Amino acid sequence: MKRALAVVLAVAAVLVTGCGLSDQESILDKDEIVIGVRPDLPLVGFRRADGRFEGFDVDVARYVAGKLDKEFTFLPTLAAARDDVLVDGRADMVVATYTISQDRKAKVLFAGPYHISYQDILIRANETIKNVRDLEGRRICEVTGANAAKRVVEERKVAARVVPFPDYRQCLAALKSNQVDAVTTNDVILAGLAAQDGSGLRLANAQFNEQRSGIGLPKGDVPACEAVNRAITDMYQDGTAAKLLKKWFGTSGLDLDTIAVPQFEGCS
Amino acid sequence: MTLVQTRPGTPLPAERGVPGRIRVVSGITVASLALLFVALALGSSAARDGLQVIGRDAGPQVVATAGLYLALSDMDAQVANVLVMGDGYPREREAAITRYEQQRSVANQALLKAFELSGDNPAERRTVQSVLDGLGRYERLAGQALLLDERSGHAPGPPPDEVVLAYRDATDLMRKVLLPQAYNLTLENGTIVRRTYDEKAFTVPLVRDAVVVAGVVAIGCLIWLQIFLARRFRRIFGPALIAATLTTAVALVYGVGVLGQDMQALRTAKSDGFDSVLTLAKARAISNSMQGDQSRYLLDKERADTYEHTYLDKSMSVIYFEAGNLDAYHRKVTTGSKDFLGLLGPELVGKEGRDALDAYRDFQAADVKFRRLVLGDRANEAVAERLGPVTTTFTAYDEALLELAETHQGVFKRAIDMGESALNTLWLLLPFSIGAIGLLVIAGVWPRLKEYR
Repeated sequence: MKRALAVVLAVAAVLVTGCGLSDQESILDKDEIVIGVRPDLPLVGFRRADGRFEGFDVDVARYVAGKLDKEFTFLPTLAAARDDVLVDGRADMVVATYTISQDRKAKVLFAGPYHISYQDILIRANETIKNVRDLEGRRICEVTGANAAKRVVEERKVAARVVPFPDYRQCLAALKSNQVDAVTTNDVILAGLAAQDGSGLRLANAQFNEQRSGIGLPKGDVPACEAVNRAITDMYQDGTAAKLLKKWFGTSGLDLDTIAVPQFEGCS
Repeated sequence: MTLVQTRPGTPLPAERGVPGRIRVVSGITVASLALLFVALALGSSAARDGLQVIGRDAGPQVVATAGLYLALSDMDAQVANVLVMGDGYPREREAAITRYEQQRSVANQALLKAFELSGDNPAERRTVQSVLDGLGRYERLAGQALLLDERSGHAPGPPPDEVVLAYRDATDLMRKVLLPQAYNLTLENGTIVRRTYDEKAFTVPLVRDAVVVAGVVAIGCLIWLQIFLARRFRRIFGPALIAATLTTAVALVYGVGVLGQDMQALRTAKSDGFDSVLTLAKARAISNSMQGDQSRYLLDKERADTYEHTYLDKSMSVIYFEAGNLDAYHRKVTTGSKDFLGLLGPELVGKEGRDALDAYRDFQAADVKFRRLVLGDRANEAVAERLGPVTTTFTAYDEALLELAETHQGVFKRAIDMGESALNTLWLLLPFSIGAIGLLVIAGVWPRLKEYR
């Protein structure tokens, strides 16, 4: 009998250690998560003077965290830092107009997209530019580090004259003072800039490059990615997505005729 | 035969002690045997549940929803094709309309099947319902575009603006609302399979270990009982107990073997079958909408840049080469580098894989020629190229992917069948071995106990 007992104990010990060896940790196992959002984009992800965050992405992040049943804190994350905060673990999730691309997928995992935006063109009220071809020979602003202007010249092969500026604020000033003719980037960013500016700059609604904004997660966290995708499906099915898009972009000139759950990238 | 052990003067408690100990050990033996069979039943029903979910629900659902996507996507591509044919291709026009009708009926069947397979998953059911509603609207919008196009009687190439505008409503509904939902349904099954697999990969080995523990304890008790009775009753062995021990050992080894086989079946079905079937279904879906983007690129001049970009984006997600624009991508694909990432990166192996890659190259080469004609304002030739070589090369590429998918589908099906048949045999034998072992234990112990009456 003693021997049998010893066998039982030995097997039990193997089982217990075996259970401890789980795969990669998932952020789903945490009680509290850190979400990276943009602090610098009005209407999208913006830190107000009182330190609170607001915008479409911020509301999406809140909704998703709620669906995952997690407490959360926001981490202000600028465009250039989005990969890094996930890779080095400072953030568990990034919701920051984070365009899904094959290059980035080597470093992070994307849930979503939760919104499809387009590259668009911001122009002065009296301007006639209607689509990307009309930028030929015109001066467009390029923000250092962003690739939107390059995509016009290289990807679309439109010979626009690129004028570099350090940030969007100075781009907008240049647009208003006729130093450039257009600013081009993601339409939600342009809508936010125009709304904040309030001087009558408008979107051309050219919609020439599709940009899929995904929710960045640590690479390999498939369970979290699947859970976030389910949350995004819910967000569209229960009408929250439509409500949030109208709340933030309803008066911005953004085309909101079709609001539907985007085609997901897939988690594997 | 019966040897009476009791000698005069032996103290009473010891006499009571022998049958007592026999009863206790028999009790432990029976309990551990019960545990063994309960664990076997639990383990095998967990495995059966896994095989059911992966093999009979999610697996077929991927095929149904991927079929739905392909049918919907092809409907929209056929409409676009008709709209660029103008008055130049009456026969092709009729064939495209017929194909549109066929695909609509395929889509309807796939929707019914998907609804049936979605079981009690409310989000999946809502999605199927929403596609069903949208499809009615799509047909109305596409019908309007086709009617306007027929009335306009334009030359082959881009149709008049009113036709383009009518088609935009239809294609936006299809590409932005319906297709994503069909695609996400396919993906959702990937989620279901992964979760089920992870759960079973945890519980089945755990239960298998419990089976081993219970079995070893049961066999230990049987052997102990055998030795105890032999010593007490001066017998060399009791045949019934030996038979019980052997039967238990066989049941243990066989049961553990079946659970191991089932785990292996689940692993093979998922890793070598399902995962590839899902990836190839995704790749075929994305590729199919790529060829729709070619027609749309030709059809809608104002949105040509958008459609060229989505074409590039989709190409890169299927087979990825780093490229800043479509020209660069074409160069890299057609010059024959074999080093690529993307959805098909891990799938295109072996001879079938190489064939599929070659077919993809031919398709992209046809695309180069097609776009050159569009940019050179040779609309008529561009339409001929689109309907001729581009379609032929696309079909060859799609068939190569389908062939790969069928190979994996075969692996998947065989693994599931194998797992299920192993379980069926186990469940057939289980009641008999329980009965046999029970009877043998009774036959071995009962006569000894009777001696104390």
